[in-house]
Amino acid sequence: MTDTSVLLQCQQVQLQLPGGFVLGPLSFALTAGKIYGLLGANGAGKSTLLQLLAALKSPDQGQVLLQQQPLQQLEPRARARQLAYLSQQQPPTDMTVQQLLQLGLMPHKALWQADSRADKAAMEAALRQVGLAAKASALLRHLSGGEQQRAHLARVLVQQAGVLLLDEPVNHLDIRYQHQLLATLRGSGLTVLASFHDINLAAAYCDELLMLQHGQLMAAGTPAQVLQPQLLEQVYGRPCLVDQSPFEQHCRVTFAPERR
Amino acid sequence: MIRHRLLQMLLLAGALAVSVLTALQIGVVDLPLWSLLTGQATDPLPQQIFWQLRLPRVLLAGLAGAALALCGALLQLLSRNELADPYLFGVVSGAALGATISSLLFPALALALPAAAFAGALIAILLVLTLAQRATAQGMQSLSTLLLTGLAVSFCASAIASLLLYQADSFAANRIIFWLMGSLSHADWLAVQLLAVSLVITLLVCSLGRRQLMALAWSDDMAKSLGVAVARWRLLLLLLCALLTAVVVAYCGGIGFVGLMIPHLIRLMFGGQILTLLFGSALGGAIFLIWVDTVARSALAPQELPIGILTALCGSAFFLLLLSRRRSPNE
Repeated sequence: MTDTSVLLQCQQVQLQLPGGFVLGPLSFALTAGKIYGLLGANGAGKSTLLQLLAALKSPDQGQVLLQQQPLQQLEPRARARQLAYLSQQQPPTDMTVQQLLQLGLMPHKALWQADSRADKAAMEAALRQVGLAAKASALLRHLSGGEQQRAHLARVLVQQAGVLLLDEPVNHLDIRYQHQLLATLRGSGLTVLASFHDINLAAAYCDELLMLQHGQLMAAGTPAQVLQPQLLEQVYGRPCLVDQSPFEQHCRVTFAPERR
Repeated sequence: MIRHRLLQMLLLAGALAVSVLTALQIGVVDLPLWSLLTGQATDPLPQQIFWQLRLPRVLLAGLAGAALALCGALLQLLSRNELADPYLFGVVSGAALGATISSLLFPALALALPAAAFAGALIAILLVLTLAQRATAQGMQSLSTLLLTGLAVSFCASAIASLLLYQADSFAANRIIFWLMGSLSHADWLAVQLLAVSLVITLLVCSLGRRQLMALAWSDDMAKSLGVAVARWRLLLLLLCALLTAVVVAYCGGIGFVGLMIPHLIRLMFGGQILTLLFGSALGGAIFLIWVDTVARSALAPQELPIGILTALCGSAFFLLLLSRRRSPNE
């Protein structure tokens, strides 16, 4: 409990959604500098959990602690300097990539402050990391789905928060950018909790995995601990085989195809 | 990119200056504009007409157009609905109800009508905000709640006003109905000052809060996760909109379609970037209403046309045009 390396912590958190879905009670802790993968079938509660951790929803019971402080008590701007959140779907807006990144800097700025030279350098660096340096002045809605997603990821990076909460960050990305982005996150030293549908991608890049089903935490731990064939079949409803990937020996899951 | 946008705004500002100067020249009485402005004219009558009637009227037309268009643009951003305008939030109906009550109770008092209209507008928007907030606290979607409450308050105020008019004597009813059609003939310097100050404050808040506005226009969750105090910003901006609309309605009556049409036009011409949209709408609204008012007071001179009728005509023509343009690519 007094471990200083714990950044974000859920204590008996429970939330009921209007449709009757109940998330939790959940208890777990995220350690600084690790990459966490959030797994689960559709409707398992992944997005709701991320929204809870980003303080967009308040729990009915229990509390979320950010560095031992209750999340709901933090001043919004102070919270945004420590927690960055990327939602699953972004409504299209009339905004350039550059302006999107300026939004990421918002928690660090007073109302009258313009962007400094350091801000511009930070924005350029973030754009280079996601491979969008040439598109800074392009309108978001003129970009492809994958490019939009990368622009949003650059926004999250430029926010300079210690904890990133990402709802399906590699959605819409092609294979090359999926790997490039996750490698960037690994190398950043940030604490990341990201939801995934691609289990093998999560296994290759995450330090630990959390498996949700029907709003309950089914398993948490290293990929080797969590990715058990029995649990995977229970959660995803398909028989599967777990072996080792020929690269770097991390877990590889192959689901049996369904034939009719 | 920034220079490009600045140029667009400068162009609009230039067009506005030309519009003001042209509108000042047009009227029942020909005025020696240059000698009036340089103080060379000595004849008191043209001086009086210029300083007490025509200049405040043209300025009020510009300011009212700017205020309505800016409100429309802001409400569209805040509600993420391109069809939002001051009418939708009950402000205009509230003002009309206030004006109706004052006309029936104190028909002789000249200042009572704008004052009561102002009070009615403010009460309406506060009612909408409180009701919407209560419904949102009970778990309803905040945007649709706001729009629905606005409609409910709007219809309720209109119904009460109609009932009062139905019961009233025909002289008072005529007066109110004419006021509701909109007119800038009551323009004076107090109205110009009030509206100019409200407009400057609103534009200043929008410029300072441009990032917050951008995040709010995007989504509540986005704004919250970026540390924006969503409820506080939305309340501030809605109150500024209420203030602007209330002043306009109090002095000029009902002028529809400006808040809906001008932001659409600006978006079509210059794109939808926040500051371009807000400042462009303000400038475009000013130009538009100055010209409409010039037509209203000179087309059938010496008789005046109610300005609300002309804006409604322009508005419906504009949206029909938009409709036909939008349909054509699919055919």
